[in-house]
Amino acid sequence: MLIRRRTLLAASAATAIASPAMAQNYPRRAVQLIVAFPAGGSTDVGARILAGLAEKDFGQPITVVNKGGAGGQIGFTEIARARPDGYTLGFLNLPGMNTITLDPERKAVFTIDSFIPIVNQVLDPGFIWVKGDSPYKTLAELTDAAKKNPGKISACTTGILSDDHLAILMVQEATGAEFRIVHFDGGAQQLTGVLGGHVDVAFDNVGSVFKRVGTEIRGLAVTDVVRSKFLPQVPCTKELGLITVISSSTRGVGAPKGTPADICKAVETAFLKAINSTEMKEKMDAVGLALKPMVGAEYAKYYADLQAQAKKYTEWALKMR
Amino acid sequence: MDSLGHLLQGFAAALSWYYLAYALAGCVLGTLIGVLPGLGPAAGTAILIPLTFNLDATGAIIMLSAIYYGAMYGGTITSVLINVPGEAASVVTCIDGHAMARQGRAGSALGIAAIGSFVGGVLATVALVVVAMPLATLALKFGPAEFFALMVAGLCLVVGLAGKNIVAALLMTVIGLLFAMIGLDPVRGAPRFTFGVEELYDGIGFVPVVMGLFGVAELLLAAEKRQARMIEAELKNWMPTRQEMRDCVGPIGRGTVVGFVLGLIPGVGAIVPTFMAYVIEKRVSKTPERFGKGAIEGVASAETANNAYANAAMVPLLALGIPSSPTIAVLMGAFIINGITPGPFLFQEQPALVWTVIASFFVGNALLLILNLPLVGLWAKLLKIPFSYMCTGVLIFCVVGAYGLKQSLFDVWVMLGFGIIGYLLRKLDFPIAPAILALILGPMMEKSLRTTLEISGGSFAIFLDRPVALALLTIPVIVIAFLLFKPRSLDKLRESDVD
Repeated sequence: MLIRRRTLLAASAATAIASPAMAQNYPRRAVQLIVAFPAGGSTDVGARILAGLAEKDFGQPITVVNKGGAGGQIGFTEIARARPDGYTLGFLNLPGMNTITLDPERKAVFTIDSFIPIVNQVLDPGFIWVKGDSPYKTLAELTDAAKKNPGKISACTTGILSDDHLAILMVQEATGAEFRIVHFDGGAQQLTGVLGGHVDVAFDNVGSVFKRVGTEIRGLAVTDVVRSKFLPQVPCTKELGLITVISSSTRGVGAPKGTPADICKAVETAFLKAINSTEMKEKMDAVGLALKPMVGAEYAKYYADLQAQAKKYTEWALKMR
Repeated sequence: MDSLGHLLQGFAAALSWYYLAYALAGCVLGTLIGVLPGLGPAAGTAILIPLTFNLDATGAIIMLSAIYYGAMYGGTITSVLINVPGEAASVVTCIDGHAMARQGRAGSALGIAAIGSFVGGVLATVALVVVAMPLATLALKFGPAEFFALMVAGLCLVVGLAGKNIVAALLMTVIGLLFAMIGLDPVRGAPRFTFGVEELYDGIGFVPVVMGLFGVAELLLAAEKRQARMIEAELKNWMPTRQEMRDCVGPIGRGTVVGFVLGLIPGVGAIVPTFMAYVIEKRVSKTPERFGKGAIEGVASAETANNAYANAAMVPLLALGIPSSPTIAVLMGAFIINGITPGPFLFQEQPALVWTVIASFFVGNALLLILNLPLVGLWAKLLKIPFSYMCTGVLIFCVVGAYGLKQSLFDVWVMLGFGIIGYLLRKLDFPIAPAILALILGPMMEKSLRTTLEISGGSFAIFLDRPVALALLTIPVIVIAFLLFKPRSLDKLRESDVD
């Protein structure tokens, strides 16, 4: 008798904590996956591949909703304000999201604690490149020149306080070089700017240009601890001795704060399975986006570490402004 | 592969049932928009963008471009039969087209307009094939400084070509630029003029504004007017006579050249080429006194120039990523919604898409010729639908469309608000197009100016160092000088030629 009562008690306690009623029923209808960037961009491409593969296991449609604009701020605000019931999920773009919350001028209504990071999908490393006929053959030649002639060599980003902007600051900090920083609006403008000879060097990501590397584009470095599998001929910053120059655009799925833990777990299970599938790998290889599955404590730690790194460089960037 | 090879592949795709159906749907919808008085191509294309949400990018763009040049065709029917331009560029067509209709020659007028539009459209697309790819290669030389200079020149032309309304056009341009400032600062990222409204962080939505200023405002204006009486014409004889055809060879040829050349220049707009082609015909004619009293050359030249312009205006969009008119700006929005950035790399990165779309221009022009010649009687019947029904239907479509773009109720209010503003502006005789063009070019202009200054380290001398930018910047200077010293004679010339 006693044992039975105990089991019952334990069972009801479990009910109270995990509320299996919700998890069992989740998902009962279509889930929205907000992408804070326009259709066709790198985040969107990855998100649509993920949604298409994950919904098979999920049992309900996953609809990608693009809420682009203001460097992601519009979409992130929407995710943060959504009802935390698991029916609105969103892509968390790091470090773009971090820098928005760190710049007081942006007047963001969310902080990084407004989101629960659930499962990471992509880590697209930074990539430093010049035009094919540029005089700079290596990153060292470039930084030496930028040290000798401070502010004469122009380096472009894909937007202010983007991961590329932070990467320029990291290189400046590590080498003592000083670039003239030019902010473009996305990768297409960057390509025109550097190939047209208007700007000397681009700070970019592997995924957006890896297919052009060769005669058109000379890769100087990938800002990562290992070489990119898409650009095995290009050295990584760690082997060049620049251990503090580690920058990437990292994207994963999260939920608004307050979403029940068991729902987050259900999302994690379904999405992680999709991310680890061979079909995902093939599709992402075709577009040059490197997978980096992270969940639980690992992802939470990455999320927190990145905030600290972004804070340091954002404050520096704000001081320079 | 060369342009011809790409084009042939494009044809193979464009002629597949799938894309052919979208081109046809676009042509029908476009003609409908053109026929309905009040709805121009800009508003029409904007309203119909949500229809293409579920298509692939190529299908969506094929359909929207077909709507665009379909509207350019369709406007003629209304101009000829009820003397109300179906869209602004058909104003000149009214002059002789309606006169012909009163003489019982409506069929000939509509026939020659369709033939002229077809020839103009096809020849302009051939020229586009030849010019666009080399221009895209050249476009790499176009840095932020050159872009800025080109856009300044474009806006100056809009103002300079506004005719009698120069002050009003200037005012509207500045207002458009001010509205373009709303949203996040393009370099610092700080919100400007947003008053804490999150929806404004991304700037004011271009498509709802166009729908409001052009669509809703026009409906309001049309609602208070008495419905114009249609000329009941015998539309069976739509083939122009042999003599009429012979008379029109010259006007159609010259109209194509004028339309194409002016279509390459951002900011010129659709009215100027038609007007210019008309004036040229009147000048070269041995019997200029017939113009205004039903001269078929007048209809042929204006309609040819109109359509040659419409197709040529795609060149700066595809090669440089610069929209040269409000409608093209809406089309550019459609490209971006579909994840495609028009500009120098479009031909390299999306050859299949771009060449299929170009091939579809040929297909669309042929479809429109078929739709417009034998079926012209059917379109004319549309003009008999009571306006109250049509107006309500279109308004509902506008509201749904504005909401559908971003599932945002805020955009619906923006559209309705700008509808009322547009109505008042039209009542006060203020031109709308400069404001729209300034609104779309404003953010691009600001960004390119600030990027230029980032590159130069804050020095404006960069504009003097770069020959192309400098040359482009002399255009505004010439326009201003011309306006200061010669406005009287220009006005006189316009009045004497059109009245």
